[in-house]
Amino acid sequence: MSTTSIGAATSAASAAPAGNAPRKPSTFMPRFIVGAVILIGWEAVVRLLAPSYVAKPSTVIIAIPSVLTDPAFQAATGNTLAAVAEGLAVALVFGTVIGLLMGRSPAFERGFRHYVDGFYAMPMIVVLPLFSLWFGYSSGTRIATIIFAAIFSIIINVADGARAVPREYLEVARSFRSNRASVLFGIVLPASMPYLLAGFRLAAGRALIGAVVAEFFLSIGGLGYYILYNSRSYKHAQAFVGVLLLAAFGVGFELLVFWVTKRFMPWYRRER
Amino acid sequence: MLNNAIRRHAPFWLSIFAGIAIWEIAGRSTSQAFMVPFSTTVVELVRLVLSGEFIRQFLDSAQLFLTGFILALAVGMPLGMLLARVPVLRIGVEPYLMILYATPLVALIPFILSMMGFGFAPKVLVVFLFSVFPVVYNTVEGARSIKPEMIEVARSFRSTEWALWRDVMVPYTLPYTMTGVRQAIGRALVGMIAAEFFLSSTGLGQLIMSASQNFDTAGVFASVLVIALIGVGLMRLGTAIEHHFARWRQ
Repeated sequence: MSTTSIGAATSAASAAPAGNAPRKPSTFMPRFIVGAVILIGWEAVVRLLAPSYVAKPSTVIIAIPSVLTDPAFQAATGNTLAAVAEGLAVALVFGTVIGLLMGRSPAFERGFRHYVDGFYAMPMIVVLPLFSLWFGYSSGTRIATIIFAAIFSIIINVADGARAVPREYLEVARSFRSNRASVLFGIVLPASMPYLLAGFRLAAGRALIGAVVAEFFLSIGGLGYYILYNSRSYKHAQAFVGVLLLAAFGVGFELLVFWVTKRFMPWYRRER
Repeated sequence: MLNNAIRRHAPFWLSIFAGIAIWEIAGRSTSQAFMVPFSTTVVELVRLVLSGEFIRQFLDSAQLFLTGFILALAVGMPLGMLLARVPVLRIGVEPYLMILYATPLVALIPFILSMMGFGFAPKVLVVFLFSVFPVVYNTVEGARSIKPEMIEVARSFRSTEWALWRDVMVPYTLPYTMTGVRQAIGRALVGMIAAEFFLSSTGLGQLIMSASQNFDTAGVFASVLVIALIGVGLMRLGTAIEHHFARWRQ
């Protein structure tokens, strides 16, 4: 079993035994070269084959300062991020409670598991037309979509974590006659924290997708709509800055969860 | 035996029946525009199937799904294996793969629309983009699990490149690749619906869209129910594939 990590740095370091290290490969040069090849290749292909409005690295870089200082872009970003944060917070609270109950109560588990699995397996964006019937073409539908996108991966992971709590912990708790709630929140919850984080990592990615898709579908203000609007008016370079920002958020969530797991739960090895 | 089977399956059917009952009661006690009961949904579904409308749209979606997904496997698996075998390339490409894997690629749909228009190809591209990165990413992850000593031992015994692939590379990376395949199935389904919503409207996506635009709540419920069932079926399939190969993993 290997410790999974986001960069290759750790695996490169552990792969090289101390002493007669078989020339430890540097990570910077290959990455730099591949990055340069991607950028130059993209620039060349677009220049040669595509119409001038199509985004290419040179025009995107030029667009970055003006887009980042554009109040409309800042408002759109704030709008989307606030919705994602709100949706994730709701999903986290309810997902954790439902997950804990499912993990510790067989009756609850039997009643809900198939629905949770089913909703999780459902491509989340099909609920958009339904939610728009219920909540209208408004930001309420976006929040509902984000919650729907995020909550099930949290429930599933927390339930897995709650099931995996070592028996001894619970037996000690029972010996001391602790009540159900304090067992659930005092022992089971902290013990399943790594699972919760793994679920949160998945949930954050799905929430971001949910927000963007909802904005496309509903045409309500936000980063997704900014991208849609600008690419429709052939300002691809500007729109692409929005994509870069979304990518930064996606990667940022991954790195944050990775860092928190490593910093606060060094004993836990992520398997997925 | 029979008693055992009943005991095992009873909770499942009980919870399904309870869910349907709640749906039926909720549907009957709210406005038809808001929610329709289970029975109305089933009637609508039967009508859609009998009219041939459903089968036509289903086949349309299946064609899109399979084309994009198979393309993703055909590109993702060899690419992942190549990256697995050539460490320099893997180290170089890895951060970019991670970025693409973590980026919400739905954001690229407007660009694809304005560059490629409304044909079949742009939709296949969306399904492909959604599903290719999990396959590559997990294959590379598997490659990292191969201990360098394994390859060195194989080398010491003058193993040929072919034998090295057959006995070390493929057996070690395939279980991880299959985890990627499972994830890719789910993502391809999202890509399929997204493509049908936002590019040219066809297939099951269109079925939902047109029902929603006509405020035909029964139609929306019927199509969402079907897509949910397809999602569950595909997820089961993916998990089965993953478990089949996971037996290799120590």
